[in-house]
Amino acid sequence: MPHESGGSGYYAALHRLFSDRLELFIGLVLFVFAFIAGILTRRYVKRFLRGFDVPDAVEGTPFERTAQRLGTSTVGLLANLCGLFVLVVGGLVALRFTNMLPQDVLTVQITGFFRQLFIAVIVLIVGIITGDKLSLYVSERLKGVKVPEVGLLATLAKYSVFYVALLIALSQLGVATLPLVVLLAAYAFGIVFVGGLATKDLLAATAAGVYLLLTEPYAIGDEVEVDGRRGIVQEVNTFVTRVETDGEEHVIPNDRVFRQGIVVVRD
Amino acid sequence: MSDLRDLLGGIVDDVDAVCLFSPSGSYFESFADTELPVVVVAPENSVDAEQYVELPLEFADVRDRIRFGLEGALEDGHIEEEHVVACATNVFEGGIDTVTRVNAGEFPRSGVYELFVESRADPSVIRDVFELAVELGKKGQKGKQVGALFVVGDAGKVMNKSRPLSYNPFEKSHVHVGDPIVNVMLKEFSRLDGAFVVSDSGKIVSAYRYLEPSAEGTDIPKGLGARHMAAAGITRETNAVCIVLSESDGLVRAFQGGDLILELDPEEY
Repeated sequence: MPHESGGSGYYAALHRLFSDRLELFIGLVLFVFAFIAGILTRRYVKRFLRGFDVPDAVEGTPFERTAQRLGTSTVGLLANLCGLFVLVVGGLVALRFTNMLPQDVLTVQITGFFRQLFIAVIVLIVGIITGDKLSLYVSERLKGVKVPEVGLLATLAKYSVFYVALLIALSQLGVATLPLVVLLAAYAFGIVFVGGLATKDLLAATAAGVYLLLTEPYAIGDEVEVDGRRGIVQEVNTFVTRVETDGEEHVIPNDRVFRQGIVVVRD
Repeated sequence: MSDLRDLLGGIVDDVDAVCLFSPSGSYFESFADTELPVVVVAPENSVDAEQYVELPLEFADVRDRIRFGLEGALEDGHIEEEHVVACATNVFEGGIDTVTRVNAGEFPRSGVYELFVESRADPSVIRDVFELAVELGKKGQKGKQVGALFVVGDAGKVMNKSRPLSYNPFEKSHVHVGDPIVNVMLKEFSRLDGAFVVSDSGKIVSAYRYLEPSAEGTDIPKGLGARHMAAAGITRETNAVCIVLSESDGLVRAFQGGDLILELDPEEY
């Protein structure tokens, strides 16, 4: 230390700090920065999520309820995760600066893995909430249908979303997911194919119904003849047209109306 | 104190069934051990009662509410004609505060349950139209009372028994009575003359309709005007239900099969 004799003890200490222990000092400063950045991230993520009405959106989902029972909330959990991520990344950078971590491939890998883990966790949480929400929505929509089996649909939708979320999370972590993807493809194909086959008439009726509703070639109260049946139109919706004659109500699928043509009787 | 208990005992002695109107979960639980049939009448079956009658409208008049509940319970076979029923309901805000004793066979049937459940249109559609009429009755036009006539259900037949007074503002539109936009349009509604025609599924088919039923044989209370006469007439000739907001006394009345079924005061809602 050439300048040691020239200054006071305080100056010397400062000087030593800036020369020898410069790395340690910067590392400390970085760590403090990371700490503050983590807290700020946490706060802003919280505010951001609140701004997008996330608390309202996740209300009532089982995930939110579990979080509440554990004394936190979905928003709090996400904010804490983000804050923690920033803190840990900052910490790693700080450690690197102080040369406490060997600058080899392993460290890089650990940082990378940490990032992937973070994304995987976020994807999982979002997936779970979306699945819960979807199942709530589906069961809400089907509430009027008083068939017990209808509950299966909501569960199916929920686990489909869970499955996709799990798939994304696993592939983030680099786990071999090819067989799972194949399974998903088979499942999706099955749904589309079987669903399309089962609802093909409904789809045709809907397409025709949209045209009928938009252009209204006949309206409620008109006298019409479809399929050789003559009567008064009582109702037109996307799927069917209801035509009533004396004491009989014919429910005619809209694609039938389209294919056969319709006679509007004017008097 | 015991005298008071005796008084209530006289009301609930020898009843054959209990009707609970919108009970809370714990209130309903306390009836779990009774051997009497317990019928729940509420807007929603939140207590999972086995015997349940859906209340489509929160009738402000307790008599209407009890009438609806009992007629519903009779219709669904929860109680019998010869039963004496204890009805627990609320008159003021808050939980159940009143118990009355009704002989199910003897009270005059008004048909208010049939009005909602047995008519062509969905009960929810009729409820929506009721709410619309009540809202319109409350607001009026610039503080002035307005009148309106809604014909609900059997729209095809109604359209053939009426003629347009002017161009139909609802042509090629797909507005349903439950839609939020209807509340925005309320003010406009009060300006339109003639009747509104609403289909079974709640679509507003037309406005400005002049109803042309034969009023022959319709028997409505004296003092009601042409609007009510037209409403009674059209319900006699079709399977529709009519909901009328009176311009003169501001009451909402419902007609079915040519008869006056229900009378509500919008101010109470």
